[in-house]
Amino acid sequence: MLGLFLNKKTTPRLERLRALSLFVNLTASELNIVDALLHERQFIKDEVIFDEGDQGEAIYIIIEGSVLICRQGRPRDGQIIELGPGTFFGDLALLDNTVRSAQARAAVNTTLAVFFRADFMSLLESHGLIASKLSLQLARHIGRRLREANKELAAVHAYE
Amino acid sequence: MRMNDQTSDSGPIVWTSILAVTCLLLLAFQKILFLVVPFLLALILYYLLYPPMQRLVLAGMSRASAAAILMLIFLVLLAIAATATLAWATIHLGDWQLAIERYLQGGIGLLERSLAGLEKRYSALEHAHFASTVVNRLNDATSRFAEHYEPLALGIAAWTPSLLLAPFLAFFFLKDGRHFQRFLARAVPNAFFERTLHLLSEVDRAARSYFVGLITLTILDTLTLAFGLWTIGMSSPLALGLIAAVFAWVPYVGSIAGGLLVVLVAATDFPAEPAVATSAIILFVLVRLLDDFVYMPLTIGKSLDIHPLVAVLMIFVGGAIAGIPGLMLVLPVLGVVMVIGETVGAIVSDRRLMARYSHGKALRRAQASADLATPY
Repeated sequence: MLGLFLNKKTTPRLERLRALSLFVNLTASELNIVDALLHERQFIKDEVIFDEGDQGEAIYIIIEGSVLICRQGRPRDGQIIELGPGTFFGDLALLDNTVRSAQARAAVNTTLAVFFRADFMSLLESHGLIASKLSLQLARHIGRRLREANKELAAVHAYE
Repeated sequence: MRMNDQTSDSGPIVWTSILAVTCLLLLAFQKILFLVVPFLLALILYYLLYPPMQRLVLAGMSRASAAAILMLIFLVLLAIAATATLAWATIHLGDWQLAIERYLQGGIGLLERSLAGLEKRYSALEHAHFASTVVNRLNDATSRFAEHYEPLALGIAAWTPSLLLAPFLAFFFLKDGRHFQRFLARAVPNAFFERTLHLLSEVDRAARSYFVGLITLTILDTLTLAFGLWTIGMSSPLALGLIAAVFAWVPYVGSIAGGLLVVLVAATDFPAEPAVATSAIILFVLVRLLDDFVYMPLTIGKSLDIHPLVAVLMIFVGGAIAGIPGLMLVLPVLGVVMVIGETVGAIVSDRRLMARYSHGKALRRAQASADLATPY
């Protein structure tokens, strides 16, 4: 009986979301719930997404284009990393209330999905399983970044 | 907070605007009360049905199906409750009319006895025939009470179609609420987007905690009062508890009205036992304390985060502007306007955000006109 009302539709947008690393572990119905919480934004080349020192309220997932993470106001000489489609940034904002540690700018015309912290917090209360799957992906992402930073640090020490 | 913070705090201009907008909204709401009331009821229904709808969506249902099923269940339950109440009310309507008149007379009797006691103590009151003047006036007013039955019945009949809007609105809130929120957010420039998302979430949080908290508080108040009234031996404790708890929706004034109602019933049912009326008063004071120190922090809490002095002043202003609806609406309206006003004030006074907005606009303009500048 319930099957009559089940949502069997999958849209190109859902397929596109499923390809993103943050949502890779979610089932179709879980993705449906998360999709309802995402906002899509278009940024033009060189447009500032957030400033270093801003209060972080959301995580950004790159759907199309690329984003430059750099020191505040130094997009050329203060470049930290350039991120491409499928990756995400501003993830620490989802976990704590700290300020942004760097500036983010659109490197080219870019489409981003924005996942707001308050929505993530409400997911923790209402859909613990989805929130824990997302948290696991976030933890993996942060762990990977930590390992890369350690490697770089070890290389610097070896050079010295 | 940016490290090199360029924001100035919301000052007296923002606060004056918040209070002025609240007053204007109350004035407007009074004119379109037939829409405001179903809208508020729909909002309460939306917040109550949202968690089960999320469960159904998680079980694999589309939002539209989940909203439709929940609304259907709600309407069926409402129809059953309405039919049962109507059947019961038709049988007891005559009794109610008599009971209202009896309780009014009981209340007047209690007042007469109390005033007579005062006259015995203060001869000045006796010389002025204070008790008889007040009682005669009240008797005069209550004798015309029956004249209000017809307008009351007509009022209920006129309001019913408008109230039926509530489930209809709630269905669309459940089905398309998120789309609407996204639609609103889409209109916001990138520079202000995070702040605006924060604003929307704060408005949603404030409204949700206020309305859901209010319903929970009403249930807790009803049960506590019903138990207390049953203990002191009053008749219909559950109905009285529920009426008094609903009266308490009007801040401060409603609690007093609820207390007076119960004292009225106690004085009529037990005219020879003033101890019952006294117990009812003590019970009300105890429940009020329990409300302020235990139930309120557990339910509504600091959802609206309004200073008590501002809250009390605004309740009087709300009452003066829009009567009883104003008393009931002033705090939630002020809470929402306060969140919006403070956020808009913070955005407008943030020079960096305004600069980013101008920069984004200039980039868009430049990109849109890039090929226009190409020389022949």
